[in-house]
Amino acid sequence: MAGGSEEKQMQLELESVIGFNGHVPSGLISHPDREHLIYPLGCTIIIYNLNRRKQQFLHGHTNNISCFTASKSGKYLASGQVTYMGFKADILMWDYNKRECCGKLTLHKVKVEALAFSPNDKYLVSLGGQDDGSIVLWNVLTKEPICGSPASSLNAGHALTVTFSNNSDDVFITGGNGTLRVWEVDLANRKLRPTECQMGQLKRVVTCLAVAEDDSCFYCGTSTGDVLKINTRTKLLNSYGPQKKKFSLGVTTLRLLKTGEILIGSGDGKLSLCIEPDYKELNRVQLQGAITSITLRGQGHQFFVGTSKAQIYRFNYPEFKQELVASCHSEAINDIAFPFATAELFATCSKNDIRVWHTVSHEELLRITVPNMTCNAIEFMRDGKSIISAWNDGKIRAFTPESGRLLYEIVNAHSMGVTAIATMSNCKRIVSGGGEGQVRVWELGKDSQHLVESMKEHKSAVICIRLRSNNKECVTASSDGTCIIWDLERFVRKQMILDNTLFRCVCYHPEEFQIITSGTDRKIVYWEVFDGSPIRGVEGSMSGSINGMDISDNGSHFVTGGNDKLIKVWDYNDGEVTYVGIGHSGNINQLKISPLSKYIISVSNDGAILCWKYPYPV
Amino acid sequence: MRNMAVPEESIYNLIPKEEVKIQKPPRYTSTFRHSVKLEEQKNKAAHKTMGPAKVEVPSPKEYLQKHTKEATLAQKSALLNSTGKPPRCLAEDQKRPPVPPRTEQPILGIQTNKSFIKTNVAEAVLAVPKKPKPVYVDTKKGDKHLLETSGLVPKYIKRKDFGSTPEYLVKRNEEVRRAQEEYDAYVKERLKMGAMKQLSEEERQNVLEGLKKNWDELHHDYQGLSVVIDTPPKKAHKERLEAEMRQLERDIDVIERQKIIYIANN
Repeated sequence: MAGGSEEKQMQLELESVIGFNGHVPSGLISHPDREHLIYPLGCTIIIYNLNRRKQQFLHGHTNNISCFTASKSGKYLASGQVTYMGFKADILMWDYNKRECCGKLTLHKVKVEALAFSPNDKYLVSLGGQDDGSIVLWNVLTKEPICGSPASSLNAGHALTVTFSNNSDDVFITGGNGTLRVWEVDLANRKLRPTECQMGQLKRVVTCLAVAEDDSCFYCGTSTGDVLKINTRTKLLNSYGPQKKKFSLGVTTLRLLKTGEILIGSGDGKLSLCIEPDYKELNRVQLQGAITSITLRGQGHQFFVGTSKAQIYRFNYPEFKQELVASCHSEAINDIAFPFATAELFATCSKNDIRVWHTVSHEELLRITVPNMTCNAIEFMRDGKSIISAWNDGKIRAFTPESGRLLYEIVNAHSMGVTAIATMSNCKRIVSGGGEGQVRVWELGKDSQHLVESMKEHKSAVICIRLRSNNKECVTASSDGTCIIWDLERFVRKQMILDNTLFRCVCYHPEEFQIITSGTDRKIVYWEVFDGSPIRGVEGSMSGSINGMDISDNGSHFVTGGNDKLIKVWDYNDGEVTYVGIGHSGNINQLKISPLSKYIISVSNDGAILCWKYPYPV
Repeated sequence: MRNMAVPEESIYNLIPKEEVKIQKPPRYTSTFRHSVKLEEQKNKAAHKTMGPAKVEVPSPKEYLQKHTKEATLAQKSALLNSTGKPPRCLAEDQKRPPVPPRTEQPILGIQTNKSFIKTNVAEAVLAVPKKPKPVYVDTKKGDKHLLETSGLVPKYIKRKDFGSTPEYLVKRNEEVRRAQEEYDAYVKERLKMGAMKQLSEEERQNVLEGLKKNWDELHHDYQGLSVVIDTPPKKAHKERLEAEMRQLERDIDVIERQKIIYIANN
């Protein structure tokens, strides 16, 4: 780790996380104590208290979590991760009550596909990914492997899912591409004995499994969009359906209810309450994104549904109406913006949408959606009356901040997409930078917007624009290796900074005599504004470029974040790291210190928004 | 199109507002609550809460018979009072003799043969002469009064409170005196209220000192005036100072000359 060398660095306190990785199958789990929701986000597991709305975090994985499960009693959690080809992927076992890691199980290669606890917490069964193809039974108490076996026969595809029977510690079931096996544990000989289920002519990819309460039969959801019912004792196909109107994009998750009904989530985001034998839909709700997990709270009077669009919904069984509990971006987040002089709200932008969040409650207050477009940068007008955004279709769009209506748009603002934007504090002009390297100044009239000047100096995309407080000067950072300080009255270049890097971020010191820049060379460099001469350079990161930087209002500290997934708080004068924040699981794309120096908000390309406590409050 | 009638949106309106909980005043409870409750309980009909009293049901043998509900004349009941005793006129030993029958002739012409003269003489002869009661005579005409009750005989000389003023008299005198005092005090107070306040010597000195201090300040200002009084404001200032000083001098003179000062109350 990079942080181990210096003792002075302290951990930055993580206040809250907005994010949910909806792509983990059955990743959203309602804990048996009925009070907590547990879900993975990148390489972190979040335990969310539903009543008190507080989050706790389990850190430990080194890469994205690929599967996640909780034991029936709720005492243990287990999570598996992915790694790079040729490396071993860990399974981490967590003690729920102590909220800490209690075991690291390493055998699988590259990816852990699925995990399941036995009903009495004796064993954990883990399924390796496609490159591993093995199934391993672990002793929960000793954290030792008991026995292993190839997951599927040679002429079948790889297994995708595993589940234990409800009453016996010795029987579990795996399903996958053309394979469906019931396994029995022979503990005396340390052997796993599989029995292939006979499905006749039927060729299916089993994506999810659910075992009936008395273990008499089990149900398999398939990618074809139907459900197979199989007798556990005879291992023969009992029935399958629906025959005609199959679930489109496959059955992604299914859950049995005490009432005998089946909850089926499909890949097109439809949640259906079905009843055997012909899987007639009693009730149906359309949600956003593919449904990846359904978890029952208690006996099923209430259940939570997670979707791949990173939404968590709550349902009450009798009403069967969705209620959005949490939402977040499911794509990489590109920018953050705070309204002037308040830390209570902030806006983030990502592919397809801009969202406005309430900082304390993490509530999504507004969502502005522009389908299939990516918003690269976002800025609030100083008067708070519009949200200005830069989009990759070359348009600058301004939205009203309450209703999210389109106020105006500047079409063809840049030919290769708008990549950076800044607004003047008098709300009269916008400075934008494009992918082709031009910096343009736009005058905002009452009902019209027109180009004032186009400045063609950069050879590549403009990444970051910062304005001086008197609106007469701005600095732009470009990925062609230059930073240019522009005169915004005569529209000419004042100074140019050249460095052997792709600049990612630039900041004015509040006194505006110096700027700090950083980029892919992982160096933070201080420059003189007057003559563009370098003052000093600091090594900003051991690995990975620096993508985001922000300086505090008084200029004493600044914050950086980048591909090393660490937030670093620096002392401006000493040029030394004072705090390090560990928590991101994706590359940090942008970070901002909130007005009034309360929080640091950082966003990453896995869609997570992390809110840190700023260690030097005013 | 921007509609000017609609107020412009602002991002700051999105900040969730803290709901202000209106503090309800405590619920009104009557101060008579307790007494009303007691009254209510007191005025409750006898068997409103507990039901009718449990009494033995009438025996089936005592069924309703013919004419039993008709009013019957009271017999003898008038003679007996509540005590159960017969009235005094009917008591055996106190019964007066029965009314004489109409046929009976009253006995007439009965005379006594006792000689009252003789018996009186005999009594007078045998009587012991009466001892005269001691008297005193207070006039020359010989008006007599009993000596015993006159107080001239030293009869109660050994009593403890002999010769002292009786207590009731002491009390009464004290009351009279206090009433008189109160009345006097009241009259004095009323008089005082009507009178004017006199300034004490100390107060007088204080007033004098204050006046002199004020005069000193004004004098200091006056001395500090510029030599050339050329503009109307300067002139006005000087005149004002002079007028004030003159007024103060007059006041000091008055207070110094008069030793006794009354303050009129109007």
